[in-house]
Amino acid sequence: MFRYLVQRLLVMIPTLILISIAIFVIIQAPPGDFLETYLAELQSQGEAVDPAKIEFLRRTYGLDQPIHVQYLKWVGGLLQGDLGYSFEHSMPVNEVVGDRLALTVVVSLASILFVWVISFPIAIYSAVRQYSVGDYLFTFLGYIGLATPSFLLALILLYLAQVYFGVSIGGLMDPQFEGQPWSWDKMQSILAHLWIPVLVIGLPGTAGMIRRLRANLLDELNKQYVTTGRAKGLPTGRLLVKYPLRISLNPFIADIGSLLPELISGSVIVSVVMSLPLTGPMLLSALKSQDMYLAGSFLMFMAFLTVIGVFISDILLALLDPRIRLGGGVAK
Amino acid sequence: MKRRDFLLTTLGAGLVLGARSAFADFIGSPYFAGAEAQGDLPPVAERLPRNPAVARMLEQGKLGGELRMLMANPKDTRVLVAYSYARLVCYDTEYKLQPDICASFDVQEGRIFTFKLREGHKWSDGKPFTSEAFRYFWEDVANNEELMPTGIPTTLKVDGQAPTVEFPDDLTVRYSWDKPNPDFLPAIAGASPLYIFRPGHYLKKYHKKYRDEAELKTEVEESGQPSWAALHNRKDNQYRNDNPKLPTLDPWTLRNKPPAERFIFTRNPYYYRVDEKGQQLPYFDQVVFDIRDSKLIPAKAAAGETDLQARYLRFDSYTILKEAEERDHKYVVRLWDDARGSNFAIYPNLTTTNETWRKLFRDVRCRRALSLAIDRNEINQAIYFGLGVPGANTVLQQSPLYKPEYTTAWSEQDLDKANALLDEMGLTQRSDDGLRLLPNGEKMVIVIDTAGESTEETDILQLVRDSWRKIGVDLFSKPSEREVFRNRVFSGESIMSVFFGIDNGVPNADLSPWEFCPSTQQQLQWAKWGQFIETSGEAGEKIDLPEAQHLFDLLQSWRAATDGGVRAGIWDEVLNIWSDQVFSIGTVANVPQPVVVGQHLHNVPEKAIWAFDPGAHFGVYKPDTFWTDSDRPLSPIPE
Repeated sequence: MFRYLVQRLLVMIPTLILISIAIFVIIQAPPGDFLETYLAELQSQGEAVDPAKIEFLRRTYGLDQPIHVQYLKWVGGLLQGDLGYSFEHSMPVNEVVGDRLALTVVVSLASILFVWVISFPIAIYSAVRQYSVGDYLFTFLGYIGLATPSFLLALILLYLAQVYFGVSIGGLMDPQFEGQPWSWDKMQSILAHLWIPVLVIGLPGTAGMIRRLRANLLDELNKQYVTTGRAKGLPTGRLLVKYPLRISLNPFIADIGSLLPELISGSVIVSVVMSLPLTGPMLLSALKSQDMYLAGSFLMFMAFLTVIGVFISDILLALLDPRIRLGGGVAK
Repeated sequence: MKRRDFLLTTLGAGLVLGARSAFADFIGSPYFAGAEAQGDLPPVAERLPRNPAVARMLEQGKLGGELRMLMANPKDTRVLVAYSYARLVCYDTEYKLQPDICASFDVQEGRIFTFKLREGHKWSDGKPFTSEAFRYFWEDVANNEELMPTGIPTTLKVDGQAPTVEFPDDLTVRYSWDKPNPDFLPAIAGASPLYIFRPGHYLKKYHKKYRDEAELKTEVEESGQPSWAALHNRKDNQYRNDNPKLPTLDPWTLRNKPPAERFIFTRNPYYYRVDEKGQQLPYFDQVVFDIRDSKLIPAKAAAGETDLQARYLRFDSYTILKEAEERDHKYVVRLWDDARGSNFAIYPNLTTTNETWRKLFRDVRCRRALSLAIDRNEINQAIYFGLGVPGANTVLQQSPLYKPEYTTAWSEQDLDKANALLDEMGLTQRSDDGLRLLPNGEKMVIVIDTAGESTEETDILQLVRDSWRKIGVDLFSKPSEREVFRNRVFSGESIMSVFFGIDNGVPNADLSPWEFCPSTQQQLQWAKWGQFIETSGEAGEKIDLPEAQHLFDLLQSWRAATDGGVRAGIWDEVLNIWSDQVFSIGTVANVPQPVVVGQHLHNVPEKAIWAFDPGAHFGVYKPDTFWTDSDRPLSPIPE
């Protein structure tokens, strides 16, 4: 086991290096750089910029250096915990990300809890009462949840919330609470806004989770040990919870790997559509304007969390499910 | 001194000199009552200059209240600097220059500019605003190699020569050149202006000259900026308005630090303008910017979540705005005139690298034929509900230089004439599907590059395509990204492009006709000629079309002329050549700009021109004179 852990940890290093190269190259791939985007944006508003000034900025920010030099500078900074400098906001990346990270974690946690709380009981019910009216109803709802594009749902809910509940469109709180200290009113305002993104972000996940859990549970329930247990008179609840449920939990645990990065990235499309002050729209605009350090460092951070998350879920799976063997040579 | 300039200055000076005696007492906003009582702020009479500027307006207002607007980007704090439009000299609604921050100005021979400041005028932190602010800019910023490594701003140079700048006393500043500099005052009065003054008393603490080197160095390192110059530039951004600590002369000052989801600007206690009753402007105590995605802004405006909005609203949201207006009565939608010469125009690339097309486009008959074939009425009806004005890409009716024939020249659909022109050029061979054949045997198919930003462009091109098919020309649009698009045009890869029409469709003779003459690379019909001029011959191509050369020469003579009559004559000639040569193909102009105005708002014009430069959007209508009769409480200031 120990050797397996060390091996996994060591493999992470080349993985992260490859990811960092890929991120940097892809961000740099479109023609132009941040300053050209900036220039175009100013011109679209009718403002003129001295080309000499742009050239000067390019030199100041080192954008005129060859790509490998820029890359090494960036990675060097990352290793020392310096995420770099955001051109678009002209301040260090850490400061730009600031509050958004906290709010993103709140929204993501809420939607993950939502997914679990809703999907767990429904899936068990559907599996135990397979082909009942309830099962069909939930299956139907689940397919709708899977099939509805989330941005469309977001728009519809925004409209309904505005018309029927008077909730201001977009954002995570009423405008007067922005940047204010925490208070009961502010909490209420956030809760009033939070349910839409949570519902929209959580719905496809809920539907997917119900389907998977139901299928896994059905597999187990039809196995002989369950029949034997039932024949020997084990109470239904115990019979369900003791083994079949535990084994069918695998998808939950495997999901933890992708949970960590999801926590900080939020759902990009939904937050853009709903204008939520989360990290997703920030990442998108950074990519669009080629604000390379902001985009790159953020993506790198997500990649790091993904790698860690997968590592954790692998270990958990190995611990929880005795059927899972550590890779060929190692286990023997 | 020219008579026109003389009149201007004396008029301006007369207005303000008479001011002080006219008021029994100045009235300040109750907003500062607490601070005044505590002794944190001096009384209003001491905060105003000795000769404050007096604002003329429709109805005298009442102090207080809050103005909410929606913006799409945390960097939009700069929009308030444009809207506030406090400039050393500014344009009035007729686009004539007037003294604004300065008490008066004087121009001799178009080359010696003297500004007189207001006595007792103060920055928003209460420190005096004198010629020292101008000296700091000129000596310590503009001429500092580290702060401005590329030298002084180009508008301050005439033929590469820098001005002589003098500060005869605390209230006088003089810029002089050997030759006229017609770009100087327009740059100062611009929406995104050239600031020739700086709050030196604040910025000195970031300037190498005034600080202990070691101390400054640690501060630079802490800030994460690469050098002291970068730190100084970061703190000193009057236009971007992203530093709440930077003293300003604007009516409202930023209170919280970007980036944020909401920005609050509160009134500047030392603002220099009063209304005719002696109340210190601005009327609004507070301006609020809420940052939301630009696509949500029309919906939020319709829900009444803004008091004054035009930015991020386009004509295509007019119907939903109007519907909500009639349902909720929270606001009225006004339609202002967009100042662009044409909402979208088509630019044949005269400097394309494609030999065949370059030869064709340089033949004026080809450009005229393509223009004649377009059914502009159909575009106007189908896309703008018939509310625009179909015509060429040129000056608009609101401009004093306008002549009806500029709009109609080669722009009323006439398929026979268009066909005849193309036949005359020898393009008589046709393919099986009725398309004309180029001299090299290929079909006459034009690929138009678009910046790919709105469906409006592609919709227009689709309609253009239908009518061009009738003269045997086919069209495809090629959407790309804006930077890619520009680079394709610059390099000559693209043969034709579609983009916004000329920016300022309402010029007068005192504004430069540069948009109509080869002058910069940004001009999509002759990018390489423009580049040649911009780089003084280092890159690009020399102009080799007589008509374009003529336009270029006219621009030079306009710059040398200081007399209004001569300038107007040059403008006439420029516009004549421009219309006759069809260097760009216009579609529909005067497309209305929806402006959402809260029911409780006063002094916002019913009908006006929506233009960025000159005009600064709301700027020339002076939002410091807008006021409200709503008693909605002020929003708290974010931390």
